[in-house]
Amino acid sequence: MLKCLTGALAAAMALLALPAAAQENARINELTFHSEALEGNWEGSPAVRTAMVFTPPGYDEHPERRYPVVYFLHGYGATTQMYQDLVHFEQALDAAAAEGNEFILVMPDGYSRMLGSFYSNSPTTGDFETYIARDLVAQVDAMYRTLPRRESRGLAGHSMGGYGAMRLGLKFPDVFSSVYAMSACCFNVRPYSIEDAQAADALTDEQVAEASFGTLGAAPFLSAWSPDPDAPHKFETGLLDDGTIDPEVMARIAANSIIPMLPQYLPSLRAMDAIALDVGNEDGLKTDNDALHAELDRFGITHTYEVYEGGHGDKIAGRIPTHVLPFFAEHLDGD
Amino acid sequence: MKSIALAGAALLALIATPAAAQITAPAPEIPAGITVEAPMVHGATLEGNLEGNAVEREVMVVLPPSYATDPERHFPVVYYLHGFFITGRNFYNFMDVPAAVAANAAEGREFIVVVPDSLTKMGGSMYSNSVTTGNFRDFVATDLVNFIDANYRTIPTREGRGLAGHSMGGYGTWVVAMEHPEVFDSIWAQSACCVSPRMETPESAAAMASATQETVDSGNFGVLAGLASAVAWSPNPNKPPFFVDWPLAEDGSVDQYVIARWANNSPLAMVSSHITELESFDAIGSDVGTMDGLIRDDTLIHEELEKFGIEHIFETYEGTHTDKIGPRFSSVVLPFMAEHLDMGE
Repeated sequence: MLKCLTGALAAAMALLALPAAAQENARINELTFHSEALEGNWEGSPAVRTAMVFTPPGYDEHPERRYPVVYFLHGYGATTQMYQDLVHFEQALDAAAAEGNEFILVMPDGYSRMLGSFYSNSPTTGDFETYIARDLVAQVDAMYRTLPRRESRGLAGHSMGGYGAMRLGLKFPDVFSSVYAMSACCFNVRPYSIEDAQAADALTDEQVAEASFGTLGAAPFLSAWSPDPDAPHKFETGLLDDGTIDPEVMARIAANSIIPMLPQYLPSLRAMDAIALDVGNEDGLKTDNDALHAELDRFGITHTYEVYEGGHGDKIAGRIPTHVLPFFAEHLDGD
Repeated sequence: MKSIALAGAALLALIATPAAAQITAPAPEIPAGITVEAPMVHGATLEGNLEGNAVEREVMVVLPPSYATDPERHFPVVYYLHGFFITGRNFYNFMDVPAAVAANAAEGREFIVVVPDSLTKMGGSMYSNSVTTGNFRDFVATDLVNFIDANYRTIPTREGRGLAGHSMGGYGTWVVAMEHPEVFDSIWAQSACCVSPRMETPESAAAMASATQETVDSGNFGVLAGLASAVAWSPNPNKPPFFVDWPLAEDGSVDQYVIARWANNSPLAMVSSHITELESFDAIGSDVGTMDGLIRDDTLIHEELEKFGIEHIFETYEGTHTDKIGPRFSSVVLPFMAEHLDMGE
């Protein structure tokens, strides 16, 4: 805490007192780019996105240096700015740099019409897999002095972003070498009831326009995992005339849940340098995380799993400098 | 006529033969100019599989006439995946692959055709990644392709590679392609099986869960196909002797957790989260006989592709699961590949 405050103070002073070229603290940059993978999504979300890119202290003074990159995926119902306000990534990077660990950290925009993309591959929300793992990574490698190889790329995320980190880790072991999922959701198959389907069927544009965290029910999942070009919201609820749910829709949800996906992607996980999961003991998602931990154990996948005292969001800001960045410092290739 | 006789023989084999039997067919004649090799390919991706399936796999490699006469020339490769309960070699026999390669070469379409073997203890790998059976999905896309590119004069790019298969191999074509789209340019699934998510009743789940070595040895095609699907899709390293989670919960109901893992292996359920991958192919084709029960499944994936606007060919023809597939490989699949692959010359 003291360190963070000191860092902030130093940052404020730096802004006032130092010449433009010097960079004693991490800096916030914005990277706006066009993602081909998001183009043409059926809900009309923008293909031009702005990522926050944090460069470490000394980035300007050492034009010959290249840095490992940590990609951080934010959670559902939140923007990149809300996560930045919560975490203050530049302070986390300052703290890491003080320990001799310098990174670039990139937080892309994972927002969608339904308030969160689940970093999945859906024609409704857009192909967020390719957007993050290919389009964004290529942009960052082109625009910043990165170490442009998997050994120097880590992937982390919180909640929906923790799910995204695991999902992209399974699918893109050629891009990322270490994964850290914080309080991740959607490891188990999400329960999906007839009432959920009915509510999703009855969803109005007004409800979508006024939506906030939790008010959309199953709609975000369905947009990400059960797309349908012909439906009003471009997702298929699977509600059949006889009042049951189409098993095909249940199967699609299962096919996008990490635990059912796992057996096919064990080679990807074995290729990882390191995998970490953590969750607060008061977080409802602990069940999901316990389950994935047990599943990784069962298949002999080396990983760390930590349950700490806390809820879903109250320790995230604190744990990024103390756990997440040190984890990547240990496992990413720094030179 | 020959096909009917072979199919008949296959059926007889299913009924009459003891343990470890499979569908067999006599070796075909090798037409003039065609060279056939049968290298053993090491599958690093198959190492450590719990079923003890062979890590060295026989691979039939059929080389076209110009391969010998034009030593500078490089050729496109069609990878051809066999079905359930048969070896790669017997599938190659049954399909008369050398004649297909020769007939197409005579029309100016020269390919290398590669038929890998994926027979396992349960009768077939399902071309899936499984700690129990081995990572056959990755084997096809990495070990096999790398070996062929390293040892033959191929066009070693995506544009030079096609993927096709029949029945379980048609299923394999869908899933290997969706998961490794960077490797193959065009795909064709013949009479693909296992397209819809596999479901069970409490009774069928209980029957599976009671499987013994004798069940496996009995060689019942339908029973084994279920067991093979389970070991490929819901492996469990802690549950000998079969290292699998059967779809039966402790309370006697169907274990939905197992069904969910199987759903993740259903091409039909996979389509909507692999649109980018499917759109990336130069061409997609699939066909099925009107007398084949799989026409229902294969029509479903055709409709799913249509719904998502994925350009593809879907043909139905008068025929059964096996009676036209050899001739159609020669007259439909290879010409389709010639139209879409980088043919070199």
